[in-house]
Amino acid sequence: MDIPLLMPQLGNETTEAELTEWLKAVGDAVTEGEQILVVTTTKLSMEIEAPASGTIKEIVVPEGDLAEIGATLAIISTE
Amino acid sequence: MPKEIIVDPDLMRQKATLAFAEIPVNAYATPFAEERARRGDAALREILRHMLIIRAFESMLASFKATGSYAGISFNYKGPAHLSIGQEGAAVGAALALKPEDHIFGSHRSHGEFIAKGLSTIAQLDEPALNAIMAEHQDGGLLRSVQQHIGGEGKALAENFLLFGLLAEIFMRANGFNGGMGGSMHAFFPPFGAFPNNAIVGGSAGIATGAALRKKLSGSGGITVANSGDGSTGCGPVWEAMNFAAMAQLDTLWGDKKGGLPVLFFFNNNFYAMGGQTIGETMGWDRLSRIGAAINPASMHAETVNGTNPLAVADAVARKRALLLEGKGPALLDVECYRISGHSTTDTNVYRSREEMQLWEAHDPIVLFERALLDEGVLTEDSLAAMRDTVAAQIKAITSAAVDPAAAPIVDVRADPTLIGRLMFSNAEIPVPETPAPLLAAPETSARIRQNAKKARFGLSESGEKLSAMRAITLRDGLFESVLHHMVNDPSLIAYGEECREWGGAFGVYRGLSDILPYDRLFNSPISEAAIVATAVGHALEGGRSLVELMYGDFIGRAGDEIFNQMAKWQSMSAGALKVPVVLRCSIGSKYGAQHSQDWSALVAHIPGLKVLYPATPYDAKGLLASALSSEDPVVFFESQRLYDVVEQFRTEGVPTDYYRIPMGEPDIKRVGSDVTILTIGPSLYSAIAAAEQLETHHGLSAEIIDARSLVPFNYDTVLESVKKTGRILLVSEASERGSFAMTLSANIARFAFGDLKAAPRVLGSPNWIVPGAEMETTYFPQVEDILDVVTGEFFPEKRSNRRGVRDWNDLDLARRAL
Repeated sequence: MDIPLLMPQLGNETTEAELTEWLKAVGDAVTEGEQILVVTTTKLSMEIEAPASGTIKEIVVPEGDLAEIGATLAIISTE
Repeated sequence: MPKEIIVDPDLMRQKATLAFAEIPVNAYATPFAEERARRGDAALREILRHMLIIRAFESMLASFKATGSYAGISFNYKGPAHLSIGQEGAAVGAALALKPEDHIFGSHRSHGEFIAKGLSTIAQLDEPALNAIMAEHQDGGLLRSVQQHIGGEGKALAENFLLFGLLAEIFMRANGFNGGMGGSMHAFFPPFGAFPNNAIVGGSAGIATGAALRKKLSGSGGITVANSGDGSTGCGPVWEAMNFAAMAQLDTLWGDKKGGLPVLFFFNNNFYAMGGQTIGETMGWDRLSRIGAAINPASMHAETVNGTNPLAVADAVARKRALLLEGKGPALLDVECYRISGHSTTDTNVYRSREEMQLWEAHDPIVLFERALLDEGVLTEDSLAAMRDTVAAQIKAITSAAVDPAAAPIVDVRADPTLIGRLMFSNAEIPVPETPAPLLAAPETSARIRQNAKKARFGLSESGEKLSAMRAITLRDGLFESVLHHMVNDPSLIAYGEECREWGGAFGVYRGLSDILPYDRLFNSPISEAAIVATAVGHALEGGRSLVELMYGDFIGRAGDEIFNQMAKWQSMSAGALKVPVVLRCSIGSKYGAQHSQDWSALVAHIPGLKVLYPATPYDAKGLLASALSSEDPVVFFESQRLYDVVEQFRTEGVPTDYYRIPMGEPDIKRVGSDVTILTIGPSLYSAIAAAEQLETHHGLSAEIIDARSLVPFNYDTVLESVKKTGRILLVSEASERGSFAMTLSANIARFAFGDLKAAPRVLGSPNWIVPGAEMETTYFPQVEDILDVVTGEFFPEKRSNRRGVRDWNDLDLARRAL
C-alpha cells in the first residue's frame, strides 16, 4: 500500500515550509516514527517522522523546494 | 535544551539525600610567626599603614560631615559619606591577595576597597608602569595637579595621585578620577584594577560576573571581585548573578572554553543592612556563607572569614583566587567585619545597642593588628607613632589640595551648560568587523543561510503582490544577517538570552546560528533578566561587546535597575572613560494579553544614556541593527513580533545582501504626501500606509508617512520640513498614550513647528488600560479606521464621515477618570 507523507500543520499561521534536508533517499527502508525529513518555516526547523514502515517509493518534493501545508512530499510503500 | 544532556527519569527517581560541600567558619589558623617569616616585617607594617590610611581618610570625611572642618580645614562637603570605619581589615586583606590584573567592583561603601586595591597595585607595579598610567589619565592633568599641589616621588607620588584622585572625585571636582561625574559612591580607576563602585545595593554582582565572563573568554587573566554587603543577599539580582556564574553549561557544554567564571562574591558582612540586622532579623541564613550551598554542589567554595584580621582575609582570598584561576569558580566569601561608623553620617545608631558596639571595640582591626605587631616586635611604639603622623600628614596634604579650587577645579557647568550632556554618549562606532572568529561550521552550511539565499530581496512581485515570508527576506532575516556578520567577524561579541541557542530565540531570529557558533559565543541564559543585562554590562566594561535579548519588552521590569542605572549610566558616570557597547534586543508582543504585549519604549527613552531604536521594515531592521552592534553606546532595540514576517515593501531595490548601516536617529519618509503628516513608531507604519491609501482614494487627501525608526536620538528636521508643507501632524504608536514617546515628539513638534501648524499635533496611541487578549486586540492598538477618524474628523472636518473606529470616547473625561 502507498502511504503519502504530508507536510504537517506547523503552527496556525504557517502556510508553507521549506524541505531543508531529506534524511532518506528513494529505495531506503524506513520505520514508522523514524526521522526522514527536515522542514523549515520562517521561525523553526523540525524533523518529520515516517508515517509508516516501508520503503521510500518516491520523493515528490525535492530538497530545497517550498511546499504548502498538506502537500504530498513523498510516497512510502508498505509492501 | 542541549540534546546531548539527557534528563534520565530512572536517575531522577532514585532515592537519595542531597549533600552539601562543607562551609568552613573562621578556619584561618596560620601562626603569626609563619606569616611573618613568609611576608617579612616590612610587608606587615605596610598592611597596617594601608589600614591607617583608610581609617584616616574616612575619619576626615566623617569630620567634614559632622563639623564642617578637618585638621583646621573648613569645607562644606555636600555629598554622601558611607564610611567603612571598622572594615579596613577586609579591604586591605583582600587587596593583599589580589594582583594588578584582578578587577574589583564595589558598593556604595567602597572608599576603603578602592584605596586598598589602589595601594596594593601601586605596591606591585614598578615605577615606569605607574608613571605611564598617571601620565595617560586626563592627559596627565591629574598628575600635574598632584605634583604641583601635593608632591611626592616614585610610589609616594602614585599614592598621592590615588588618594587625591579619589577625594577630588568625592568632592565632584573636574580632575577627580571620574571627572566629578561619579562622586563618593561611584569612584573608580580601572588602570589600578578598581572598576565601578555602585550606589545600588548588590549592583556589582552581575556586572562583576559579566566582567569575569569577558576575562575568561579573552584570556586576559586575573579574576573579578564583586564587593557588596550582607544586605545585598536579600536582592534578587545578586542571586541571579551567582546562579549565572555557576551555570552548569560552563562545565558541561563549553568545550575548550570549559570552566567556571573567575568571579569572587565578596560580602563585607557588617551585620547591618543600613538599620536592618541581617543576622537574626531580616535574613534567614544564620551565617551568610550558607547561601553558597544553594547555588551549586561546591557550595561556591564558600567560607566565613574573620574580617577583622587582614591576614585571615588575604589567606582566604588567595585560596579562592587560585580556585577561580583553575576554572572552579564562582567563589563566595562571607567576611565578617563590624561597621564602627554609622551607615551614613545621619545614622544615630538607634538600631543597635551601646553594649554591642562596645563589645566590638576590642575587635577593631587596626587595634588588633597594631597590638600583634607591637607584641611580636615588628613595630615599636615610636615607629607606630611616626607611621600615624606620616599618614595624618598625607591625608591632610591631600585634603588641603582637594578643597582648593586651584588644585581641584570645580566642574563649571554654568560656563558650559551642556558639559554633562556631552558625556552621555560617545557617538562612536567601531569599523566594520573583519576579524574571523572561530566557528563550528562554515556559515554557508547552515540551512537558514541557504534558505535566505534563495529568497527575493524585495517583498513585492512584479504585479505588486506581497510575497510570502518563505519567499522573500523578512524583518527577521534582516536582523539575522546583521547579527551573523558581526558574530562571524568580531570574536569579542557574544550573544545570549533565554532560548537563544537551539531555539534561535523565542521568535527564531537566531535560528541557524547554533550550527555555526560555539557555546562561548551564543548560549542559553537562565531566566534571569537582571543577570542577562548586568552581565552584558560587565562584559562590555571589561572590553567585550554584548548582544543580549529579553524575550518580551514586558520583562524590562525584571531588569529595571540593570537597564536604567547600569547599562545607561557608566559611560557618563565615568566621564567617558568607560564604554558600554551593549545591544539589548526586546521584542514587543501581541496576542498574549496584558503582560506580554506592551510597548514600553517610552520607559527606556525616558532614561538618559540609552539609545532607543524601533525599526519596522526589513531594510531598516538590518541597517539599524548593524549600527547598534557597531555602537560604542548602549542601545535598546525594539522589535515587533507582528513584524518579524513582514517583507520589504518600500525599497524597490530590496534589502541589500551585503552589510550596511543606517545611521541612528534619522526618521524616514515612507510615503510622500502634502495634506497631512503621519509620524509612526513601530508597526503603526503599516496601518498608516493603509490609511493613506484610503485617504487618497476616498477623500482626496494626500498623507505623508514618516517612520520614526529611532526614538533616541531623533532628528526633527525631516518631520519639521514635512509639517512646513502639510501643516498637520498625527503621531501613531501602539504604546498606551499617557507618557508615551509619541507624546514627547508631539510636544516638541508643537513647539518647534508652531508657526507652520494649522492644527495642534494629535497623538493616536493605545488607550490607558491593559492590552486585551488576541480577540480584542484590534479594539486596543490603533487601526486604519482610527487613523481615518482622526484625519477626516479632526483635521479635515469637511471630510467627516461616520465614525469607523472604536474610539468613541472623550479624552478629557477619560483623563478625569484615571484613564
